[in-house]
Amino acid sequence: MDEIRYITRFEDDFPEKLRFIPNPPAGIYVKGRLPDPGKKTVSIVGARACSVYGRYMAEYFASHLAAAGVQIVSGLAKGIDGIAQRSAMEAGGVSFGILGSGVDVVYPVENRDLFEMAVTNGGLISEYPEGATPQKAYFAERNRLISGLSDILLVIEARYRSGTSITVHNALDQGRDIFAVPGRLTDGLSAGCNKLISDGAGMALCPDDILKALGLLSEDAVVTETGKRRKNTEKPGTVKRIRLSEKEKLVYGCLDLYPKNVDEIVRTLHIPVSHATETLTALCIKGAARECAKSNYIKVL
Amino acid sequence: MYTSVTTLSLVGLKGREIRAEADMSEGLPVFEMVGFLGGEVKEARERVRTALKNSGFLLPPKRITVNLSPADIKKSGTSYDLAVAISLLKLLGIISEDAADDMVVIGELGLSGEILPVRGVLPMLIEAKQLGYDHCIVPFDNMAEASAVDGMDAVGVRSLKEVETYFDTGSAPKYEDTDTGRSSDRTYDVDFSEVNGQETVKRALEIAAAGMHNILLVGPPGSGKTMLAKRLPTILPDPDMDEILEVTKIYSVAGQLKEGQGLIYTRPFVAPHHTVSSAAMAGGGTIPRPGLCSLAHRGVLFLDELPEFSRSTLEILRQPMEDKEVNIARAAAGYTFPADFLLCAAMNPCKCGYFPDRSKCRCTDADVQKYLGRISGPLLDRIDICVEASRIEYKDINLKGESESSESIRKRVKRASEIQRMRYEGSGIRFNSDIGVRDIDRYCHLGKKEEQLMRDAFEKLGMSARAYHRMIRVARTIADLDGSDKIECSHLSEAVAFRNIDRRYWNG
Repeated sequence: MDEIRYITRFEDDFPEKLRFIPNPPAGIYVKGRLPDPGKKTVSIVGARACSVYGRYMAEYFASHLAAAGVQIVSGLAKGIDGIAQRSAMEAGGVSFGILGSGVDVVYPVENRDLFEMAVTNGGLISEYPEGATPQKAYFAERNRLISGLSDILLVIEARYRSGTSITVHNALDQGRDIFAVPGRLTDGLSAGCNKLISDGAGMALCPDDILKALGLLSEDAVVTETGKRRKNTEKPGTVKRIRLSEKEKLVYGCLDLYPKNVDEIVRTLHIPVSHATETLTALCIKGAARECAKSNYIKVL
Repeated sequence: MYTSVTTLSLVGLKGREIRAEADMSEGLPVFEMVGFLGGEVKEARERVRTALKNSGFLLPPKRITVNLSPADIKKSGTSYDLAVAISLLKLLGIISEDAADDMVVIGELGLSGEILPVRGVLPMLIEAKQLGYDHCIVPFDNMAEASAVDGMDAVGVRSLKEVETYFDTGSAPKYEDTDTGRSSDRTYDVDFSEVNGQETVKRALEIAAAGMHNILLVGPPGSGKTMLAKRLPTILPDPDMDEILEVTKIYSVAGQLKEGQGLIYTRPFVAPHHTVSSAAMAGGGTIPRPGLCSLAHRGVLFLDELPEFSRSTLEILRQPMEDKEVNIARAAAGYTFPADFLLCAAMNPCKCGYFPDRSKCRCTDADVQKYLGRISGPLLDRIDICVEASRIEYKDINLKGESESSESIRKRVKRASEIQRMRYEGSGIRFNSDIGVRDIDRYCHLGKKEEQLMRDAFEKLGMSARAYHRMIRVARTIADLDGSDKIECSHLSEAVAFRNIDRRYWNG
């Protein structure tokens, strides 16, 4: 399993999708498996320094897509890439890491466990030989493989001009569909995504939108109302029902996917701090909220 | 012919009885001092001789020997001058031979014969009282301190002439006790009502003050962390007499009592700059004086910009935070200073200061971790409460008249501290933060429902075992603030919300 293979473009094993992209690699090094050509593949990319919202969206889309049997491809980098791949594999799916270094080189080091996970739950792929150290130019080049291996490129969070735009350009050249997760207009980290949507990229409002575009979901299954659509993508049996008291509902309603300080909640609801803090803890224990930084909370959908 | 006068020396915070003996005999004219003297005590010879001369008492051309006994203790400081001078006055027959036999004498001399204040008068006199003395002569400027010792009849003098008059006629300069701090209404320059918004931080500070819990304030630049921390002393529970004496002793030994200041009735607030050295923090010098963490004893040690402090300085704090005292070893002796303080620290959440606000902060998770990593884990482990100050919004700046005053917060804190005082009577515990792990079950019993809550929190929120006990202590304080005898779920939940940051779970 841990063996590193080298597959040239002229071998049968070589991924069909990479054979016909502009500037295809001469060959690829693989540790683990190669993507199953019979299954749909989605690349999830985005900012390295992502927000709590981005983190949450990456987890949300990746875990639901993976649970629906979609293979997730990304760069195993910090931020969105790594988060998406981790949640895909934790949801029982497969994921492939396309590297800007040799497949035996772990970069960034804090993702070491993720690299090990990817070898067993998918594979590591690189066009650079074993031992090749990560270099700036390599990362720009490997982005064409990320988009190349996919059916759809999903951008979670990206600044207006960022590394992600290279991947998007590659995807356009390769004829792949692009979806982006919208964000607030004032949010610099969503500016790239919003621009993509205005330029004609698909708007990813929920994982079903992607599944639909992949042809994995029939048209009628998708109900337009947001709440109901979400239910469809949850695997049967995993629907968790959380009972909240009136007080908890009130505080939960005040939370958002953007971190909110306890103070903001206290100000909005005009409740004593002690009520707010104890209710937030109760929500966290019930799994309805999460403390993402000290005294800052986000809701869990 | 031989005379002697009792004085005291300081060893750490304790006084020690010293006898200043003088002898005059025939021989070559010489004035000699012996008794394991430090530099400043050797110089006392010149000061005493000149002071006597300028006060009109001439030393005869004889062989005069002064000994500070016991001679195996290293003497330092200038407080022996007056005892030596009085011993000589007795020798010269200027005052009666049995004068000052039942008293202790402390004071420094100037060349003109004036008597100057010295440090450490309070601990010396407390020791003297324990040794059975109830009269003393001290420099007039130390009278505020000296009159604070119960049952000690203090005479304050300004010059050697006044000493002579006192022994002649029994009349001494009159000292008016102007120490007004004893009254219970304390005033502060700052007040919580001046800070708008930040209700969460205020609540956290209230809990910290009520149980003397260590607290960490996190927040972006300009969110008012420092402003809030500076107001922490205004809501602390009033110190009792034992605590007042302990604090004043330390300040007396450190020579930091203000002129004319008797006892210190407020809890100290010590805020060192982050360039402070580890010796200044712990206490140092060949004869160690109390460091900053002892000066913060029974009060607040505020460390602003915690990650900027040098690692070695912060490591110093580990012993006092665990043992509530600092031990300083020197070749001559070991010194122990008490250091039981409330640590209040403030820091930015990351190096740019705006995490988790991603519109401003571009630090990666690793950057944030690295910034937090500058604070050693063991120090972080000793902090009970952590809270983040939010960014101040414009409308909060101009909000008027809605903020609660320090006085009304202090009332609640006082009630909670009264409850603790009653509960821990005779157990050696003062505040909830002092409860040892062994006593936790005794004082912080949890019901079935509460235990279930803690179990859930432990599993779902990924807490560490160490954090568990800290949270229960904090919950005890929250219950006390609430006036509740039993720790309820709501108290525990709030304690969990204010729990300290765990490095693993600090993520965006």
